[in-house]
Amino acid sequence: METIAVKMEKITKSFNDVKVLDSIEFKLKRGSIHGLLGENGAGKTTLMNILYGLYNQEDGEIFINGKKENISSPVKAISLGIGMVHQHFMLARPFSVVENVMLGRKSRRGILLDTKQTAEELKTLAEKYKMEIDPYSKIWQLSVGEQQRVEILTAMYQGAEILILDEPTAVLTPQEVDAFFETLKEMRDDGKSIILITHKLEEITSIADEVTVLRDGKMIGRRAVDSTVTKDDLTRMMVGRDVLFDFPKNTIEPGEVKYSIKNVCAKNDKGLPALKEFSLDIRENEVIGVDGNGQKELCEVLTGLRKSDSGEIILNDKKMVNKEPVYYIEQGVSHIPEDRHTTGLALNWSLKRNLILKELNKAPFVKNGLLQPKVIDKYWNETKSEYQIKSINGEEKARALSGGNQQKIILAREINLNPQVLIANQPTRGLDVSAAEYVRKKVLDARNAGTSVLLISADLEEILQLSDRIAVIFDGKLMGILPRGASTHEIGALMMGKKQEVASCEN
Amino acid sequence: MKTKLLNSGKKAAGAVAMIALALIIGAVLVLISGNKPMEAYATIISGAFGSKLRLSELFIKMIPLTIMALGISIAYKAQLWNIGADGQFTMGAIASAAIGIYVELPPFLIVPLSILSAILAGGLWAGLAGWLKTKFNANEVITTLMLNYIATYFLAFLVYGPMMDPQGELAQSEVLKESLRIPLLFSNYRIHAGIVIMILIILLMFFFWKTPLGYKTDLIGQGEKVSTYAGINVKRTIIITMMISGAFAGLAGWNETYGVQYRLLEGISSGYGDIAVVIALLGELNPLGIVISSFFFSILMVGGSCMQRMTNVPYSIVDVIKGLIIIFVIARTAFRNTAIKYTMKEWIGRRKNYAK
Repeated sequence: METIAVKMEKITKSFNDVKVLDSIEFKLKRGSIHGLLGENGAGKTTLMNILYGLYNQEDGEIFINGKKENISSPVKAISLGIGMVHQHFMLARPFSVVENVMLGRKSRRGILLDTKQTAEELKTLAEKYKMEIDPYSKIWQLSVGEQQRVEILTAMYQGAEILILDEPTAVLTPQEVDAFFETLKEMRDDGKSIILITHKLEEITSIADEVTVLRDGKMIGRRAVDSTVTKDDLTRMMVGRDVLFDFPKNTIEPGEVKYSIKNVCAKNDKGLPALKEFSLDIRENEVIGVDGNGQKELCEVLTGLRKSDSGEIILNDKKMVNKEPVYYIEQGVSHIPEDRHTTGLALNWSLKRNLILKELNKAPFVKNGLLQPKVIDKYWNETKSEYQIKSINGEEKARALSGGNQQKIILAREINLNPQVLIANQPTRGLDVSAAEYVRKKVLDARNAGTSVLLISADLEEILQLSDRIAVIFDGKLMGILPRGASTHEIGALMMGKKQEVASCEN
Repeated sequence: MKTKLLNSGKKAAGAVAMIALALIIGAVLVLISGNKPMEAYATIISGAFGSKLRLSELFIKMIPLTIMALGISIAYKAQLWNIGADGQFTMGAIASAAIGIYVELPPFLIVPLSILSAILAGGLWAGLAGWLKTKFNANEVITTLMLNYIATYFLAFLVYGPMMDPQGELAQSEVLKESLRIPLLFSNYRIHAGIVIMILIILLMFFFWKTPLGYKTDLIGQGEKVSTYAGINVKRTIIITMMISGAFAGLAGWNETYGVQYRLLEGISSGYGDIAVVIALLGELNPLGIVISSFFFSILMVGGSCMQRMTNVPYSIVDVIKGLIIIFVIARTAFRNTAIKYTMKEWIGRRKNYAK
């Protein structure tokens, strides 16, 4: 039997005269996990959409199990045993798991549904691959990780032998990732062939048997993953150069205290105390990293998106408590929000409009009551080249951009406001290596220009790298402040050691 | 620029296809009813364009429909589903008629005052729904609809009661003095200078979307979180947007009272509000699209009543066409959602495979 499940030869594809795939070669061995690695926008998903029949290639050939095939639609792909789990799930939320699997399939009981039988089969299948799922629970009741399992199960139930997974771990918690990898190994041992699209190096080194690297629509290389493969090698292939994981030491020392948070108490969405007598001073030219829970509420209180119950926020001797969001913007508090899709950007707006989102009624963008397209164009062009935003003309919707480019728009907007304070909440979440590096560099530039930066990140590495000091929150209260160069161990100790001393807020 | 043109071309093609499909289905119904579809449609066309008189009637319909649909489009851009244009129109008509009938001032003061009162009445009526939404999270679809009924019955109360023409037996107010009426453009036809106001408002709308307020309205429609983040007072903007939307309908109410009916009468809005919703949606909330859709529906309405008189085909065929277009517009919205589109593709794909 043929050992190569999928062979793609000289695949080429263009969108709007831009070549997004340039004669790509791809080979998947039967019974293996193959990593498809590349930065956002490298063409990974496009290549796989061609394999799945969602797009048609301009040039090149596809062989499935050694036989040349013309995959014109997903219908064809499914009949060839190819399944794909997209980043966005295709489930009917009010329906149960088994009903979703049955959707569009002919019942074996004529006009009656064969729900029970399908549910049993589904259960057996799930157990075989070590996936826990109740066939009768409704989709909307499931966590994202469970929904993903349903998608995978559906594909397997349809008899997929080749499974394409598009950035599957992006939506999973670390614990879920471990369980998910177990499932993948189980499937591989069962003889299934799996393609794992990712930009995370750890995933390649921990689970893949082979890896193909794409960059800017070109195939950079294909190699077996063994003990000789290092992260640095992969990074170099993926980005095309070495990436700075360490920034040079800051030369400018922090100045006077500029921004003070004093005894702030606030509740979370459930009405429970999230910040308890929280206090923190940030100096000029200083990055303070914050680790611990209560971060989200802190950001919202600082930018007027959430009311505090008590306490003060002082910027340059000016008190600002429980004002409207616009007040904080005018006072020079910039905010890179945690969720760029619902908060940071209007996804259906053009890039240009998103860039001036906070200046919709300010000169020079508005004159005589009308927005000035020429001024906006000029500003856009300057910003685009300064921040290296990949865009055709700035008129495309923000939705169409990769995460890295979206974040660059937000970053440019917030930093160009010349902020006194920059609140950066998870600024590099979901970004690929080089985009993350760029964002970090820009945050440090802002610091060196005098901005006080409050950096919130779940990525401890990032906090240690960028911060002049590190504030540790536990249970809504500041536990202590560590100097630059502190270890993760010290942070952990601070979080655990002082647990008992947490004070409570009135009401 | 090129892609922009291409996009609007695509949108226009979609709208034309929807209309064509609705007309074809309408034709089938006419056929089933034992009549000749081509003849019915020919009567609609000749009924709308056949003579100068017909053309004049066509534009008389088009004025309120266009103004109201433009107002509706502002609210819809902000994802505020104002379906109460009829009520806002009625309140505008009542307020302006009251000024014209009861206030004793020279005409050059009464006319602007009546316009202002209509705008204010319509604006406040819609603003009330906006306020209820921000204060109690009351769904504006429900509140604007309910406010329609209140306005309709309030009008009925007035024309059967305190404002009833003392000289007459009918449910209508006394007639407005001639000096207050919107001047006619030609002595023999009913078409009046209100068309100038319509044109001004159309021009205004092209500018509106380029003002900060237009952008803010649009941004509210993109999501509450991002609007708040951008420093916009969402609640205030919701109320203002609703008020502007209602003001347009109020103005259309003034236009109907001072330009066509010259008095207040029961059912003065004649369901313009419902059609204006369809026009706004079919026109993709775009000013030019709305003008074109509004023209189309005016043809249907004026030609449709002519068709009813000249042939055996009832006017309700026009309502059927209207209803079909609503369904198509909603279906189009669903299919534009890429997630839904992909899901459908996937499901259809599975179905076909299992069928084998």
